[in-house]
Amino acid sequence: MNKFEILDHTADVGLVAWGETKEEVFANAALGMFSLICNVEEVNGGFTIQVEVEGSDYEDLLVTWLNELLYLFEAEEVLLKEFNIQELGQYYLKAQVEGEPLDTQKHHVQRVVKACTYYEVKVEEIRPQLWRAQVYFDI
Amino acid sequence: MAEAWKGPLQKVDDWRWLIPRSYKKGMLTDGMIYASEKMISAIRKDQAPEQVANVACLPGIVGRSLAMPDIHWGYGFPIGGVAATQEKGGVISPGGVGFDINCGVRVIKTNLTEEEVRPHLEKLLSLLFTNIPSGVGSKGKLSFSIPELEKVLEKGARYIISRGFGFKEDEENIEERGAMEGADPETVSSKARERGKGQLGSLGSGNHFLELEVVERVFRPDLAEVFGLFPGQVIIMVHTGSRGLGHQVCTDYLEEMQKAMNRYDIKVPDRQLACAPCDSPEGRRYFSAMACSANFAWANRQLITHWVREIFEQVFQKSAASLGMFTLYDVAHNIAKWEEHEVEGQKMKLCVHRKGATRAFSAGSPALPPRYREVGQPVLIPGDMGTGSYILVGTELAMQETFGSTCHGAGRVMSRSEADRRSRGRNIANELKERGVLVQAESKATLREEIPEAYKDVGEVVEVVERAGISKKVVYARPLGVIKG
Repeated sequence: MNKFEILDHTADVGLVAWGETKEEVFANAALGMFSLICNVEEVNGGFTIQVEVEGSDYEDLLVTWLNELLYLFEAEEVLLKEFNIQELGQYYLKAQVEGEPLDTQKHHVQRVVKACTYYEVKVEEIRPQLWRAQVYFDI
Repeated sequence: MAEAWKGPLQKVDDWRWLIPRSYKKGMLTDGMIYASEKMISAIRKDQAPEQVANVACLPGIVGRSLAMPDIHWGYGFPIGGVAATQEKGGVISPGGVGFDINCGVRVIKTNLTEEEVRPHLEKLLSLLFTNIPSGVGSKGKLSFSIPELEKVLEKGARYIISRGFGFKEDEENIEERGAMEGADPETVSSKARERGKGQLGSLGSGNHFLELEVVERVFRPDLAEVFGLFPGQVIIMVHTGSRGLGHQVCTDYLEEMQKAMNRYDIKVPDRQLACAPCDSPEGRRYFSAMACSANFAWANRQLITHWVREIFEQVFQKSAASLGMFTLYDVAHNIAKWEEHEVEGQKMKLCVHRKGATRAFSAGSPALPPRYREVGQPVLIPGDMGTGSYILVGTELAMQETFGSTCHGAGRVMSRSEADRRSRGRNIANELKERGVLVQAESKATLREEIPEAYKDVGEVVEVVERAGISKKVVYARPLGVIKG
């Protein structure tokens, strides 16, 4: 099972993430997003941040979660690669995320992701132990 | 790739295609797409027309849900979409403006010709590239304190000019004179400020650019003269927006409006169309925060203008004023504005959303500076890198049909991954050089995603708005050199 795949869109970019659990699908969506921004292989761990977000359902939580990570990337200038989801209910997500402060000498930032949109957002359990999430980003 | 759209498109004339309101439950009005027959088959390839129909479902929409010929598939609104809503009972939608609030274009004139600039072109580009920060997460060269940032949010380009970064007369050649009314910095979150504060005075990445161009064709000499344009003249086009600040403002208010919609019992066919009544606290707060972001963008383009002038002064050893480096105009193409329009013989105050569309006011509009009031507003239409740009003028028909709006650019036809596949192994900078266009880019990936064939032909787009009568061509300018993020 691939962790995520990129969807073609004329102007922007879509992403589908897969996971055995809802926690895994949220983590893989975040990994997919950072792989659009940079080459995650170049990113080390060691720098951790605690993240908490609220939402009105899983879809809203997914969009809010990814936008929170984009905020951290731009405001705190950190590239992230590990996403440990500690708590995930219908209205609340708590995670410890890990990565490395941006070093333009070392990291190749490929693309700006302006935001994660609500367009066609989906989080669904297609069958037991298989979750699928879909989002589109504004590039 | 996306599914093709199979809904009804009724041909009104060679340039107008109607989506009848009967197409879909919930549509409150018809949709109208401005396009040529040839473009329509491309437009049908993805879900952009469905998005035109979805916008027609917004409560309080007045007139039609419109799409310009550079229409392409967006999220929520299509790119190239225009929709007006009424003050009472109408909604305002952050998705109708987009994340890059007041992404827009400024054109700076010069009195230099191509022959005078050519020998210095490489030097100019390399100085522009090193002095104007570009690329992902690029930072401005100046740091602004918190009280200064508040002033930028409230007073936009006017504040920047008052600080000495510009000519006094720049102000009147910017939409809204560079500062929108009703911008209360209180409505901009600390997150948005954090994200944006270091980025004031930077180009950013993606489709943003700074381009040196030469006026190659003049379609209407009388209008070109009023605009101060002549054949062979070098002009500079700056295309950027409100950077991370605007992105975060849109993100914040989309989240807030998801909740507000339940409270106001508003239902929309796509969550990205989240909205709130214009006169609700949420609607008013969003408008104010959006106005602050728009002001930030005008301040951004003003600072960049200042540095462009400094670089020309350094290279040509003359003052910017004696080089004729005046602002032709500065337009927003992602914005919502309160405007007065005549609808069925009645004057109405409307919230006009333009998402990838340009205001194109006609002669006589009180919003225009005196020098343009007799001819209409200069409309600045960038093409893709390497193709060139058009400068148009607004028309009376646009006032009647499109709330004084027209196209904003070429519009993508190819996804980024397809552009990436097609450009693999190619040296895009060299290809452009062979066509006489020098390129300096921060990222090769951006350059490949932005290859000319990923865009519609801007000439065709402009032809449609001219033939449909919603604007008129004044000049075409060919690119000489481009700075990309």
